[in-house]
Amino acid sequence: MKQGISVLMDGELHEDEAEVLLGEIRRDGDAHGDWAVYHLIGDVLRQPEHIHRDLGAGVQARMKDEPTVLAPRSRAVTQKVRTVALSAAASVVAVGVVAWMSLQIAPEAAPQLAMQDASMRPVKMAIHPKSNDYLMAHQEFSPAADMTGGTAYIRTVAYSLNEKP
Amino acid sequence: MADREVDQLLVERVQRGDKQAFNLLVTKYQRKLGRLISRFIRDPAEAEDVTQDAFIKAYRALPGFRGESAFYTWLYRIGINTAKNYLLASKRRAPTSTPFDIEDAESFEDATLLHEVSTPENELMSKQVVDVVQSSLQQLPEDLRSALTLREIEGLSYEEIASVMNCPIGTVRSRIFRAREAVAENLRPLLETSKGKRW
Repeated sequence: MKQGISVLMDGELHEDEAEVLLGEIRRDGDAHGDWAVYHLIGDVLRQPEHIHRDLGAGVQARMKDEPTVLAPRSRAVTQKVRTVALSAAASVVAVGVVAWMSLQIAPEAAPQLAMQDASMRPVKMAIHPKSNDYLMAHQEFSPAADMTGGTAYIRTVAYSLNEKP
Repeated sequence: MADREVDQLLVERVQRGDKQAFNLLVTKYQRKLGRLISRFIRDPAEAEDVTQDAFIKAYRALPGFRGESAFYTWLYRIGINTAKNYLLASKRRAPTSTPFDIEDAESFEDATLLHEVSTPENELMSKQVVDVVQSSLQQLPEDLRSALTLREIEGLSYEEIASVMNCPIGTVRSRIFRAREAVAENLRPLLETSKGKRW
């Protein structure tokens, strides 16, 4: 426990461990003594010319007559809880929005193709050789650059030199 | 967790009705607050009484402490007000030439203006305590002495000390503890002989 006290007074202990250890120190007289001696050492090292006797016993004696104080949870704690709750809620909303958006987009293409009747399926079309030049000249108007959502309107076009009109 | 957060844990315990937790805060800050109050009140016995008064007032006011400032900053204000009120009640004037404000609370190092509880008995005891601590420190191995000095005097974190000493944080933790415990071993017999005298 002594090493824990040493780490605690340096502010290097995790909060849950600190909470447990503080409970033990306040119950254990020897641990309280170690807490006191370690702090005295620190005070001596920082201000050796200003070390005075322990006032703790005097304060403790006077506090026996004091009523026990009770206070509502501090604002700092409440704010901490509120911050965590808001963060969690924001995360859930963000995940929900992303999931909803992906559901809106993803199932579009494949089912629509599957549902198309035979008349809508790609057909083998007879194309005149001159059409080749036409397609080349107008390829910039092709919807291929923006395919999202347009799959249903696409028809496959093929051209072969061996094919005669 | 930072030192301020340790104080906040203790404060919350007190606010839940744990009087013993307040004793830990008194143990921690008694000398710091005592030095502050002795800047106002020259008489050592009076300064000691006023320091105790300030702690009692702080205890009574703790239900209203919301953790918006550090506990010691808040205690510092109570200490100053208690000292000034004491001087007013005694129909004496607080020293107005002493320049200090709230910022001093976190780095109170102005030793030249301080007074001390100066009865011969206390002076002797203070001297013995200081001698034991300093001689014990000098007897420590270099790595332990450096770790403790970097922590207590320079105020470095474990991470910073690990960087300076080029060792893992776990080693820093161990070195500081071993150094403290070695000094405490030499100090305890002296403090125990003076138990009745509240050392």
